[in-house]
Amino acid sequence: MENSKPRLIEKKLRTIEKRLVDLLTKAGYLKGRSRKFSEITAHIYIHQEVTQKLLRKLTGYSLGTISTALQTLEKQGVVHKHSDPDTHEYHYELDGTVSQTVFRSLRDIQQFLYQMKEFFRGIEAKLSHPHLSNKKGYENIRQFLDELDIVIPAHERVFQRFQSIVSDAKPKQEVQ
Amino acid sequence: MASNKTPQDPHGFDPEIRQIEQQIVEFFAEKSPEFTGRHPIIATVMTYFDTRRSLTQQDLRKLTGFSAGTISKSVRQLMDMNVVTKETIPGTHKHVYRMEKLPFTSARYFGGTGKLLEEMEKELKEMKETLDTHAEEMKDLEGYRKIYTTITQLLELISTAPLFMALIDEEIGKFTKENK
Repeated sequence: MENSKPRLIEKKLRTIEKRLVDLLTKAGYLKGRSRKFSEITAHIYIHQEVTQKLLRKLTGYSLGTISTALQTLEKQGVVHKHSDPDTHEYHYELDGTVSQTVFRSLRDIQQFLYQMKEFFRGIEAKLSHPHLSNKKGYENIRQFLDELDIVIPAHERVFQRFQSIVSDAKPKQEVQ
Repeated sequence: MASNKTPQDPHGFDPEIRQIEQQIVEFFAEKSPEFTGRHPIIATVMTYFDTRRSLTQQDLRKLTGFSAGTISKSVRQLMDMNVVTKETIPGTHKHVYRMEKLPFTSARYFGGTGKLLEEMEKELKEMKETLDTHAEEMKDLEGYRKIYTTITQLLELISTAPLFMALIDEEIGKFTKENK
Protein backbone atom coordinates (compact mmCIF):
# COMPACT_ATOMS: atom_id res chain seq x y z
CA MET A 1 0.00 0.00 0.00
CA GLU A 2 2.85 2.39 0.87
CA ASN A 3 4.21 2.20 -2.65
CA SER A 4 0.88 2.81 -4.34
CA LYS A 5 0.90 6.64 -4.00
CA PRO A 6 4.29 7.20 -5.71
CA ARG A 7 3.16 4.79 -8.44
CA LEU A 8 -0.04 6.76 -8.86
CA ILE A 9 1.90 10.02 -9.14
CA GLU A 10 4.29 8.48 -11.70
CA LYS A 11 1.26 7.24 -13.67
CA LYS A 12 -0.29 10.73 -13.55
CA LEU A 13 2.89 12.28 -14.98
CA ARG A 14 3.08 9.70 -17.79
CA THR A 15 -0.60 10.36 -18.61
CA ILE A 16 0.17 14.08 -18.94
CA GLU A 17 3.19 13.30 -21.13
CA LYS A 18 1.00 11.15 -23.39
CA ARG A 19 -1.72 13.83 -23.57
CA LEU A 20 0.93 16.40 -24.52
CA VAL A 21 2.29 14.16 -27.29
CA ASP A 22 -1.27 13.50 -28.55
CA LEU A 23 -2.08 17.22 -28.54
CA LEU A 24 1.05 18.15 -30.51
CA THR A 25 0.47 15.24 -32.91
CA LYS A 26 -3.08 16.42 -33.58
CA ALA A 27 -1.90 20.01 -34.15
CA GLY A 28 0.71 18.80 -36.66
CA TYR A 29 -1.83 16.59 -38.46
CA LEU A 30 -4.25 19.51 -38.78
CA LYS A 31 -1.48 21.53 -40.43
CA GLY A 32 -1.04 18.84 -43.10
CA ARG A 33 1.80 16.87 -41.56
CA SER A 34 1.74 13.10 -41.23
CA ARG A 35 0.76 11.72 -37.82
CA LYS A 36 4.05 9.81 -37.54
CA PHE A 37 6.17 12.88 -38.35
CA SER A 38 4.13 15.00 -35.91
CA GLU A 39 4.48 12.43 -33.12
CA ILE A 40 8.24 12.17 -33.57
CA THR A 41 8.50 15.99 -33.51
CA ALA A 42 6.38 16.09 -30.32
CA HIS A 43 8.77 13.73 -28.51
CA ILE A 44 11.74 15.85 -29.59
CA TYR A 45 10.03 19.02 -28.27
CA ILE A 46 9.61 17.34 -24.89
CA HIS A 47 12.90 15.43 -24.59
CA GLN A 48 15.00 18.11 -26.33
CA GLU A 49 17.68 15.54 -27.13
CA VAL A 50 16.99 12.06 -28.52
CA THR A 51 18.60 9.11 -30.27
CA GLN A 52 16.97 6.98 -32.96
CA LYS A 53 16.85 4.15 -30.43
CA LEU A 54 14.98 6.28 -27.87
CA LEU A 55 12.48 7.46 -30.51
CA ARG A 56 11.88 3.85 -31.52
CA LYS A 57 11.19 2.97 -27.89
CA LEU A 58 8.86 5.95 -27.44
CA THR A 59 6.87 5.60 -30.69
CA GLY A 60 7.29 1.99 -31.84
CA TYR A 61 7.91 3.25 -35.40
CA SER A 62 10.45 1.62 -37.69
CA LEU A 63 14.00 2.98 -37.83
CA GLY A 64 13.37 3.92 -41.47
CA THR A 65 10.39 6.13 -40.53
CA ILE A 66 12.36 7.69 -37.66
CA SER A 67 15.44 8.30 -39.80
CA THR A 68 13.38 9.98 -42.57
CA ALA A 69 11.64 12.25 -40.06
CA LEU A 70 14.95 13.20 -38.44
CA GLN A 71 16.48 14.01 -41.83
CA THR A 72 13.55 16.34 -42.60
CA LEU A 73 13.81 18.01 -39.18
CA GLU A 74 17.55 18.44 -39.65
CA LYS A 75 16.99 20.01 -43.07
CA GLN A 76 14.44 22.39 -41.55
CA GLY A 77 16.96 23.39 -38.86
CA VAL A 78 14.72 22.08 -36.05
CA VAL A 79 17.39 19.65 -34.80
CA HIS A 80 21.12 19.24 -35.22
CA LYS A 81 23.00 16.00 -34.72
CA HIS A 82 26.24 15.18 -33.00
CA SER A 83 27.98 11.90 -32.39
CA ASP A 84 28.53 10.56 -28.88
CA PRO A 85 32.32 10.02 -28.57
CA ASP A 86 31.84 6.90 -26.41
CA THR A 87 28.99 5.08 -28.13
CA HIS A 88 29.39 6.68 -31.61
CA GLU A 89 25.62 6.95 -31.57
CA TYR A 90 24.05 10.05 -33.11
CA HIS A 91 22.19 12.39 -30.76
CA TYR A 92 19.60 14.77 -32.22
CA GLU A 93 19.23 17.96 -30.25
CA LEU A 94 16.43 20.51 -30.52
CA ASP A 95 17.97 23.72 -31.87
CA GLY A 96 16.92 26.22 -29.18
CA THR A 97 13.66 26.20 -27.25
CA VAL A 98 10.22 25.24 -28.61
CA SER A 99 9.33 28.97 -28.90
CA GLN A 100 12.56 29.73 -30.78
CA THR A 101 11.86 26.82 -33.15
CA VAL A 102 8.34 28.09 -33.89
CA PHE A 103 9.50 31.69 -34.43
CA ARG A 104 12.25 30.43 -36.72
CA SER A 105 9.64 28.55 -38.73
CA LEU A 106 7.82 31.85 -39.29
CA ARG A 107 10.99 33.20 -40.92
CA ASP A 108 11.09 30.05 -43.08
CA ILE A 109 7.54 30.74 -44.23
CA GLN A 110 8.62 34.25 -45.27
CA GLN A 111 11.39 32.65 -47.31
CA PHE A 112 8.80 30.27 -48.79
CA LEU A 113 6.59 33.22 -49.76
CA TYR A 114 9.59 34.83 -51.47
CA GLN A 115 10.33 31.63 -53.42
CA MET A 116 6.65 31.38 -54.38
CA LYS A 117 6.75 34.91 -55.82
CA GLU A 118 9.85 34.05 -57.88
CA PHE A 119 8.36 30.76 -59.09
CA PHE A 120 5.00 32.25 -60.07
CA ARG A 121 6.71 35.03 -62.02
CA GLY A 122 7.95 32.24 -64.33
CA ILE A 123 4.52 30.60 -64.46
CA GLU A 124 2.94 33.97 -65.26
CA ALA A 125 5.33 34.36 -68.21
CA LYS A 126 4.39 30.91 -69.55
CA LEU A 127 0.67 31.53 -69.16
CA SER A 128 0.85 34.90 -70.89
CA HIS A 129 1.31 33.33 -74.35
CA PRO A 130 -1.80 34.57 -76.21
CA HIS A 131 -2.57 31.18 -77.76
CA LEU A 132 -3.23 29.71 -74.29
CA SER A 133 -5.97 32.11 -73.21
CA ASN A 134 -8.79 30.16 -74.86
CA LYS A 135 -7.50 26.71 -73.93
CA LYS A 136 -9.47 24.52 -71.55
CA GLY A 137 -8.22 24.95 -67.99
CA TYR A 138 -6.66 28.39 -68.61
CA GLU A 139 -9.26 30.16 -66.46
CA ASN A 140 -8.59 27.82 -63.52
CA ILE A 141 -4.86 28.57 -63.50
CA ARG A 142 -5.51 32.29 -64.17
CA GLN A 143 -7.88 32.50 -61.18
CA PHE A 144 -5.38 30.73 -58.89
CA LEU A 145 -2.57 33.08 -59.96
CA ASP A 146 -4.78 36.16 -59.49
CA GLU A 147 -5.64 35.04 -55.96
CA LEU A 148 -1.99 34.36 -55.12
CA ASP A 149 -1.11 37.84 -56.40
CA ILE A 150 -3.09 39.23 -53.49
CA VAL A 151 -2.67 36.49 -50.89
CA ILE A 152 1.16 36.36 -50.98
CA PRO A 153 1.73 40.09 -50.29
CA ALA A 154 -1.04 40.00 -47.65
CA HIS A 155 0.77 37.19 -45.83
CA GLU A 156 4.12 38.90 -46.17
CA ARG A 157 2.61 41.92 -44.40
CA VAL A 158 1.13 39.69 -41.67
CA PHE A 159 4.47 38.00 -40.92
CA GLN A 160 6.42 41.29 -41.00
CA ARG A 161 3.96 43.05 -38.69
CA PHE A 162 3.71 40.07 -36.33
CA GLN A 163 7.48 39.72 -35.99
CA SER A 164 7.94 43.42 -35.48
CA ILE A 165 5.27 43.56 -32.73
CA VAL A 166 6.59 40.43 -30.98
CA SER A 167 10.24 41.55 -31.10
CA ASP A 168 9.27 45.03 -29.80
CA ALA A 169 7.39 43.39 -26.91
CA LYS A 170 10.21 41.02 -25.90
CA PRO A 171 12.72 43.47 -24.37
CA LYS A 172 9.92 44.95 -22.21
CA GLN A 173 8.99 41.49 -20.91
CA GLU A 174 12.60 40.71 -20.08
CA VAL A 175 12.94 43.92 -18.01
CA GLN A 176 9.87 43.09 -15.89
CA MET B 1 5.78 13.16 -56.14
CA ALA B 2 3.03 13.43 -58.75
CA SER B 3 3.08 10.76 -61.42
CA ASN B 4 4.24 11.88 -64.85
CA LYS B 5 1.64 9.67 -66.52
CA THR B 6 -1.43 11.61 -67.53
CA PRO B 7 -3.82 8.99 -68.90
CA GLN B 8 -6.75 11.36 -69.29
CA ASP B 9 -7.66 14.65 -67.74
CA PRO B 10 -10.88 14.51 -65.69
CA HIS B 11 -11.79 18.08 -66.65
CA GLY B 12 -10.45 17.92 -70.19
CA PHE B 13 -7.63 20.42 -69.53
CA ASP B 14 -5.52 21.25 -72.55
CA PRO B 15 -2.12 19.43 -72.46
CA GLU B 16 -0.15 22.71 -72.40
CA ILE B 17 -2.24 24.02 -69.49
CA ARG B 18 -1.92 20.64 -67.79
CA GLN B 19 1.86 20.90 -68.07
CA ILE B 20 1.84 24.30 -66.37
CA GLU B 21 -0.44 22.93 -63.67
CA GLN B 22 1.93 19.99 -63.11
CA GLN B 23 4.84 22.39 -62.61
CA ILE B 24 2.81 24.20 -59.94
CA VAL B 25 1.94 20.90 -58.25
CA GLU B 26 5.58 19.77 -58.28
CA PHE B 27 6.70 23.11 -56.82
CA PHE B 28 4.38 22.74 -53.82
CA ALA B 29 5.09 19.02 -53.41
CA GLU B 30 8.80 19.82 -53.13
CA LYS B 31 8.74 23.12 -51.23
CA SER B 32 5.87 22.67 -48.74
CA PRO B 33 7.58 19.78 -46.87
CA GLU B 34 10.82 21.77 -46.72
CA PHE B 35 9.31 25.00 -45.41
CA THR B 36 6.15 23.95 -43.58
CA GLY B 37 6.64 20.23 -42.82
CA ARG B 38 3.47 19.49 -44.80
CA HIS B 39 3.48 15.98 -46.24
CA PRO B 40 4.28 15.92 -50.01
CA ILE B 41 1.15 13.84 -50.77
CA ILE B 42 -1.08 16.30 -48.92
CA ALA B 43 0.69 19.19 -50.67
CA THR B 44 0.08 17.52 -54.05
CA VAL B 45 -3.61 16.80 -53.48
CA MET B 46 -4.18 20.25 -51.97
CA THR B 47 -2.64 21.97 -54.99
CA TYR B 48 -5.05 20.16 -57.33
CA PHE B 49 -7.89 21.58 -55.22
CA ASP B 50 -6.26 25.04 -55.51
CA THR B 51 -6.50 24.85 -59.30
CA ARG B 52 -9.60 22.65 -59.84
CA ARG B 53 -11.69 23.45 -56.70
CA SER B 54 -14.02 20.43 -57.19
CA LEU B 55 -12.79 16.83 -57.49
CA THR B 56 -13.87 13.24 -56.89
CA GLN B 57 -11.49 10.64 -55.47
CA GLN B 58 -11.38 9.07 -58.92
CA ASP B 59 -10.36 12.41 -60.49
CA LEU B 60 -7.56 12.69 -57.94
CA ARG B 61 -6.34 9.17 -58.71
CA LYS B 62 -6.16 10.04 -62.42
CA LEU B 63 -4.35 13.31 -61.78
CA THR B 64 -1.83 12.10 -59.22
CA GLY B 65 -1.39 8.39 -59.93
CA PHE B 66 -1.69 7.74 -56.17
CA SER B 67 -3.52 4.62 -54.92
CA ALA B 68 -7.19 4.68 -53.84
CA GLY B 69 -6.14 4.23 -50.20
CA THR B 70 -3.70 7.16 -50.32
CA ILE B 71 -6.31 9.42 -51.93
CA SER B 72 -8.97 8.40 -49.43
CA LYS B 73 -6.63 9.18 -46.49
CA SER B 74 -5.61 12.50 -48.04
CA VAL B 75 -9.14 13.82 -48.59
CA ARG B 76 -10.03 12.71 -45.05
CA GLN B 77 -7.10 14.77 -43.72
CA LEU B 78 -8.04 17.80 -45.87
CA MET B 79 -11.60 17.62 -44.49
CA ASP B 80 -10.22 17.45 -40.93
CA MET B 81 -8.10 20.50 -41.78
CA ASN B 82 -11.25 22.40 -42.94
CA VAL B 83 -9.71 22.78 -46.40
CA VAL B 84 -12.38 20.86 -48.36
CA THR B 85 -15.98 19.78 -47.83
CA LYS B 86 -17.69 16.62 -49.05
CA GLU B 87 -20.97 16.49 -50.97
CA THR B 88 -22.90 13.57 -52.42
CA ILE B 89 -23.52 13.75 -56.17
CA PRO B 90 -27.36 13.65 -56.46
CA GLY B 91 -28.73 10.30 -57.59
CA THR B 92 -25.43 8.50 -56.95
CA HIS B 93 -23.41 7.18 -54.04
CA LYS B 94 -20.39 9.12 -55.27
CA HIS B 95 -18.88 12.05 -53.43
CA VAL B 96 -17.38 15.25 -54.71
CA TYR B 97 -14.91 17.24 -52.61
CA ARG B 98 -14.90 21.03 -52.88
CA MET B 99 -12.54 23.80 -51.90
CA GLU B 100 -14.71 26.91 -51.77
CA LYS B 101 -11.84 29.32 -51.27
CA LEU B 102 -8.06 29.08 -50.97
CA PRO B 103 -7.37 28.02 -47.35
CA PHE B 104 -5.50 31.24 -46.58
CA THR B 105 -8.53 33.34 -47.49
CA SER B 106 -11.16 31.10 -45.95
CA ALA B 107 -12.92 31.95 -42.69
CA ARG B 108 -13.72 28.24 -42.34
CA TYR B 109 -9.99 27.37 -42.36
CA PHE B 110 -9.00 30.08 -39.91
CA GLY B 111 -12.06 29.33 -37.78
CA GLY B 112 -10.79 25.75 -37.47
CA THR B 113 -7.32 27.00 -36.52
CA GLY B 114 -8.82 29.33 -33.88
CA LYS B 115 -10.87 26.48 -32.41
CA LEU B 116 -7.83 24.19 -32.31
CA LEU B 117 -5.80 26.83 -30.47
CA GLU B 118 -8.61 27.34 -27.93
CA GLU B 119 -8.79 23.60 -27.30
CA MET B 120 -5.01 23.39 -26.98
CA GLU B 121 -4.89 26.27 -24.53
CA LYS B 122 -7.62 24.72 -22.37
CA GLU B 123 -5.93 21.34 -22.29
CA LEU B 124 -2.45 22.75 -21.64
CA LYS B 125 -3.77 24.83 -18.75
CA GLU B 126 -5.36 21.72 -17.24
CA MET B 127 -2.07 19.82 -17.56
CA LYS B 128 -0.11 22.69 -15.99
CA GLU B 129 -2.56 22.86 -13.10
CA THR B 130 -2.09 19.14 -12.37
CA LEU B 131 1.71 19.54 -12.52
CA ASP B 132 1.55 22.55 -10.18
CA THR B 133 -0.74 20.73 -7.73
CA HIS B 134 1.58 17.73 -7.53
CA ALA B 135 4.87 19.64 -7.95
CA GLU B 136 6.33 18.44 -4.66
CA GLU B 137 5.70 14.77 -5.40
CA MET B 138 6.56 14.93 -9.08
CA LYS B 139 9.55 17.26 -9.22
CA ASP B 140 12.17 14.49 -8.98
CA LEU B 141 10.48 12.15 -11.43
CA GLU B 142 12.15 11.64 -14.78
CA GLY B 143 10.90 14.11 -17.38
CA TYR B 144 8.90 16.34 -14.99
CA ARG B 145 10.98 19.45 -15.64
CA LYS B 146 11.01 18.93 -19.42
CA ILE B 147 7.26 18.33 -19.62
CA TYR B 148 6.61 21.39 -17.47
CA THR B 149 8.91 23.58 -19.60
CA THR B 150 7.30 22.40 -22.85
CA ILE B 151 3.79 23.14 -21.55
CA THR B 152 4.80 26.60 -20.28
CA GLN B 153 6.46 27.51 -23.59
CA LEU B 154 3.47 26.30 -25.61
CA LEU B 155 1.13 28.40 -23.46
CA GLU B 156 3.34 31.43 -24.07
CA LEU B 157 3.26 30.79 -27.81
CA ILE B 158 -0.51 30.36 -27.85
CA SER B 159 -0.88 33.70 -26.06
CA THR B 160 0.52 35.40 -29.21
CA ALA B 161 -2.00 33.63 -31.49
CA PRO B 162 -4.87 36.17 -31.09
CA LEU B 163 -2.54 38.92 -32.35
CA PHE B 164 -1.53 36.79 -35.32
CA MET B 165 -5.16 35.95 -36.14
CA ALA B 166 -6.16 39.63 -35.86
CA LEU B 167 -3.42 40.61 -38.32
CA ILE B 168 -4.59 37.92 -40.75
CA ASP B 169 -8.20 39.10 -40.41
CA GLU B 170 -7.09 42.66 -41.14
CA GLU B 171 -4.87 41.87 -44.14
CA ILE B 172 -7.20 39.25 -45.66
CA GLY B 173 -10.14 41.56 -44.89
CA LYS B 174 -8.52 44.16 -47.17
CA PHE B 175 -8.25 41.44 -49.82
CA THR B 176 -11.93 40.48 -49.66
CA LYS B 177 -13.02 44.16 -49.66
CA GLU B 178 -10.78 44.87 -52.65
CA ASN B 179 -12.46 42.01 -54.50
CA LYS B 180 -16.08 42.96 -53.78
